[in-house]
Amino acid sequence: MIGVVHDERVVSLLRDRFEVAGFPDDAPPLVGAAHHLALARALRDELQFRLFGFVVASHWPGKPAKKEGESGVAEAFELAYGLRSIGKGSGLAVWRLCLAAGEHAPSLVELFAGADWQEREQFDLVGVRFKGHPDLRRLMMPEDWEGFPLRRDYPINTPCPPWR
Amino acid sequence: MAVDEGERSFRHPLFEFMARMPGLDVATTTVDKLLTWGTTNSLWMFPMATSCCGIEFMAAAASRVDLDRMGTILRGTPRHCDVMVVAGTITVKMAPRVKKLWEQMPEPKWCVAMGSCAISGDFYRDIYAVVPGIDTFLPVDVYVPGCPPNPEELMHGLLRLQEKVRLVRAGKWSDQESRPAPHEHLRAPSIPRLTDPDRDKDLSAQQVASADGLGFADEMNLVKIRTATRSTPPKTEEDP
Amino acid sequence: MKFSTATATVADPYLDISTYEADADLMVLNLGPQHPSTHGVFRIKLYLDGEVIVKAVPYPGFLHRGVEKLCEKLTYTMMTPIIDKNDYLSPMMNEQAINMAFEDLHGSAVPRRAKYLRTIFAELQRVASHLVWLGTFGVDLGGALGGGTTLFMHCFREREMILDLFEEVTGCRFHYNTHMVGGNRHDIPAKWAKGVHRVIGVIAERIDEYEILLTSNKMFVDRTKGVGVIDAELALSLGITGPILRAAGVDHDLRRDAPYHAYDEVDVRVAVETAGDCQARAIVRILEMRESLRIVGELIDNVPEGPINGYRPTKTPLQVKITKGQGYACLEGPRGELGTYVIAGGDNRGASPYRLKIRSPSLHAMSCLPYVLPGLTVSDTIATFGSLDPVMGEVDR
Repeated sequence: MIGVVHDERVVSLLRDRFEVAGFPDDAPPLVGAAHHLALARALRDELQFRLFGFVVASHWPGKPAKKEGESGVAEAFELAYGLRSIGKGSGLAVWRLCLAAGEHAPSLVELFAGADWQEREQFDLVGVRFKGHPDLRRLMMPEDWEGFPLRRDYPINTPCPPWR
Repeated sequence: MAVDEGERSFRHPLFEFMARMPGLDVATTTVDKLLTWGTTNSLWMFPMATSCCGIEFMAAAASRVDLDRMGTILRGTPRHCDVMVVAGTITVKMAPRVKKLWEQMPEPKWCVAMGSCAISGDFYRDIYAVVPGIDTFLPVDVYVPGCPPNPEELMHGLLRLQEKVRLVRAGKWSDQESRPAPHEHLRAPSIPRLTDPDRDKDLSAQQVASADGLGFADEMNLVKIRTATRSTPPKTEEDP
Repeated sequence: MKFSTATATVADPYLDISTYEADADLMVLNLGPQHPSTHGVFRIKLYLDGEVIVKAVPYPGFLHRGVEKLCEKLTYTMMTPIIDKNDYLSPMMNEQAINMAFEDLHGSAVPRRAKYLRTIFAELQRVASHLVWLGTFGVDLGGALGGGTTLFMHCFREREMILDLFEEVTGCRFHYNTHMVGGNRHDIPAKWAKGVHRVIGVIAERIDEYEILLTSNKMFVDRTKGVGVIDAELALSLGITGPILRAAGVDHDLRRDAPYHAYDEVDVRVAVETAGDCQARAIVRILEMRESLRIVGELIDNVPEGPINGYRPTKTPLQVKITKGQGYACLEGPRGELGTYVIAGGDNRGASPYRLKIRSPSLHAMSCLPYVLPGLTVSDTIATFGSLDPVMGEVDR
């Protein structure tokens, strides 16, 4: 059901204008962060993907090198964005961004108002920061909460005094 | 975490007044019965309904089960209510608010924990954001287990609460309501698991044979287990 | 695509309150988190000038239970009964949404009979969910819908009939755990179709009565007509789907536009209204209930014979292993596009997902409040809130 690889127009848009080379079978294509906003704008205005879908952030923790001399894996974040076209034959356009730790993602709020809460939620739970977001506060957790619960290295039963 | 229950033996001001008047103590018992009857049959409820149990709570208040015939009326404000029904998961963000609402209710008041989330946190109990049971910060009078409990079970819980109120007012209540403990056989399986070396060999062989007959032995990965059980060394006896 | 809708004035959600008129005596009113008409636990901070709202700041998260984190620790089989508790007014849809995503990634085929059963369950569940909405909307509006809790009592009476049908199939009244990867867990009992026909006959009759209440009751019309208008542009930009989008004049329904289950074998007529206000949303839901009943009536007699699960029944649950891939599957729930984005694989050997995200329509619906509420009064807030039909378990997850 990953819509983007099925839709010819989206594939040609990505290939011709946004320098996307790889279209894997089992995942949405990776897009450079510099093209992120322009891609969303082109999808919305030219290909009529006007319904805001979702934002999913995931955390990929770094791994230390196994032996000396080898390089380990650096901590990274992955964002998946989805937009939907409306009406008959409604399709989905999904693309991914890959971010290094500490890197800010461009925010989609200026194009889609719905990105406001979605990006706040992902900031709250995963800890990805968005550049250009007007109001980046925690959405789900209390405002004085420490840590980002949906990171992989966050223990599920983190003590929370006085309740636990 | 234990809860400081504070002053729970509430004395009605009317009784204080009657005790001071000479000759009126004869009437006290009769009026006490009247008051107990009135209290138990007009338990107004404050729905602290957060999640799925709240819907079953609504269903209990709706036409089929109809809590109104017990004299329970739902009120939206804590200041009118006698019973707080905590129906649903309480998170760490919500818990201080629940505590505050509980403190706003006038005495005498009772608390019903409806559903396993309110009782123990259920499968959310290990999660960072969820309070593992409201009895960590509220004195619970009646536990109504279930996920969610049927409306009939909530009604049964309220009948138990009525009984408890009667006993407390009569001075006959001794036990605290305690969190229902799971049965022993629910904690550990009565038959050792397939991978347990203590398991009866005949039982394993019997099960493998029956699965073989059905043709599911491969699917159930029993072949592997069969070899594993065979190669397990017998447990050394501690008593010679 | 052009829309013929009434255009609404959209407020600035990021209004700096210190730049508002200096001599205005602003009052801050907290609505919630425990308020009978917030449909759960939700807090809105309202800045009031007199009785008119200047700015509204919603605070969700009072029911954030960390379901997505919990799912990272569970196997694919163990997740269904937990996802049930998300949108607790339509557990069937939750189960289907999550299992559809797993089936896509796992490559499991669903038998035709299971597809029919899923469609029937989903449509009955949609009616049950809309009935709860109608009942609580009646309570929200006080005396506007036949006085106090009258409509609430009536709607729950009908909902119990549908829950009884589900109880006959699954043994559970509320959280069913009846879907799994590859099909269903419970087959329908004999003569179930007869009961379904009886129930949809009764409900269809009563829906007509409710529609008269909605359209001809002057109090109801006064409180909902022209109140809380969400126009199509705003709804699309916020990602609002379902009845709210259709009430804004956008003809979009995943059942017809991207068919799943057995929807490609039935004709789904999509209800569309153009006003975008509370009354239009109410009417769309009423029409949807009627349409759902029609679909159930059409399908229930033609359920094909065959297995209900793509896998042979075993006593142990099916071990689903998905070692890599990412996928998104969605369906049209009672509140809109209910989707699941799954990132499989990672460091837990394919037994459980690496990351699971539920795209909940209610969260998108609630995000319209800062845009819509300014300019309305406090009583309009309650009407708008009720007409959005949020479920807090799904907003906060």
